[in-house]
This record gives sequence, C-alpha cells and structure tokens, in this order.
Amino acid sequence: MELEVTGNRIRDLRTAQGLSQAQLAAAMDVSRQTINSIEVGRYTPSLALAVALARYFGSTVEEVFHVEER
Amino acid sequence: MSKSVKRKLFFWAGPAFCLLMGVVYLVAARASGQPALGLMLLIFMVVFTVVLVIVSRYSETVRGLLDRGDERINQIDLRATAAAASALIVAIIGGAVYELARGHSGAPYTWLAVVGGVVYIGAVVVLRSKR
Repeated sequence: MELEVTGNRIRDLRTAQGLSQAQLAAAMDVSRQTINSIEVGRYTPSLALAVALARYFGSTVEEVFHVEER
Repeated sequence: MSKSVKRKLFFWAGPAFCLLMGVVYLVAARASGQPALGLMLLIFMVVFTVVLVIVSRYSETVRGLLDRGDERINQIDLRATAAAASALIVAIIGGAVYELARGHSGAPYTWLAVVGGVVYIGAVVVLRSKR
C-alpha cells in the first residue's frame, strides 16, 4: 500500500488559535519557512514533526494531514 | 548535551572551520615562500566568516545550514551536497578519461575516484547496518 500526503489543516488550525507562522515555528523549533512550506504542501514533515504538530493542536496526525492511497 | 547547546556548537563549528582554513592557507603559503598570498587568503576567509555570521542573523536558511536545527533545511543541504558531489564525480571521471586519452596514467583523477568510491561503499555499509 502506497500512501501520499495530499494536504493538511495546519494553516486553519494555526489561524484558529491566532498564531503567526513564526510563533508556531518557535513552538516546533523549526524555521518559519518550514512551517510555510508544510502549509502550502511543498514539504512533507518527518513523522516526529508531524506528530509534534498534531499534538500541539490536540489532534492526531491523520486529522491534521490528509493522506490518500495511490 | 541539551539541544540548544548542541545547536550552538554546530552553529559555531562552520565559522571556526573557515577561520582555521584561513590560518592553514597562511601557513601553507608562507611555507612555499608566498606570505602575501597567504595573508590575502587569511583576510578573505576572515571576511567570509564575518559575512556568514552576519547573514545568519537575517537568513533562516543560512542559520539552519549552520546550526543543523531544521529538518527541512538539513534535507535541502543533503540534496545540494549530493548535487555538488555528482558534479565532482562527472569532473573527476572526465579528467581521468582526458588524462588517459593523452597517454598519461589518469592521476590524480583516478586516485580521487578511488577515494570517492571507497568512501561511498564504506558509507553504504555503515549506514545500512544502522538503518
């Protein structure tokens, strides 16, 4: 089974909490550019960062990242 | 060692290496009787190091390349290094073929190819056992 990350809800979850990309980046200990790249779907984060992002928003990885079977 | 201490050490390792290379260039040039060239190279490396540190305050990418703290920039660095290595491989093979065609032994390109090949195989063996 081959899975593909087709999108995510990071931007929605971040803006709902009134956070800037820089604030979320600081919380995740990554650069602001990395948060932006994840939000626009240019970069798929590592499992560790995906879990950290999901936990930060009190959610699960599958609720935050949209995954489809190829 | 905490993550922030590790990042600070990584951050300063790059500039420290650049300064060290400046001193090495100076010593090597002085040993060959070219102190002015050595001094020029040292000054170049000092200026490069200062510029690198200043730019890192404004650029997340440069800061990430130095402190190794961002997984995306680490991945970019890895791919950029692979691209640079690919260019070097082409240049080394091209140089070796050119030297062989001229009736020479192919050195030093053949030796560079041997070093690259041995390091690559060694790295694959070590990394395979770890992953």
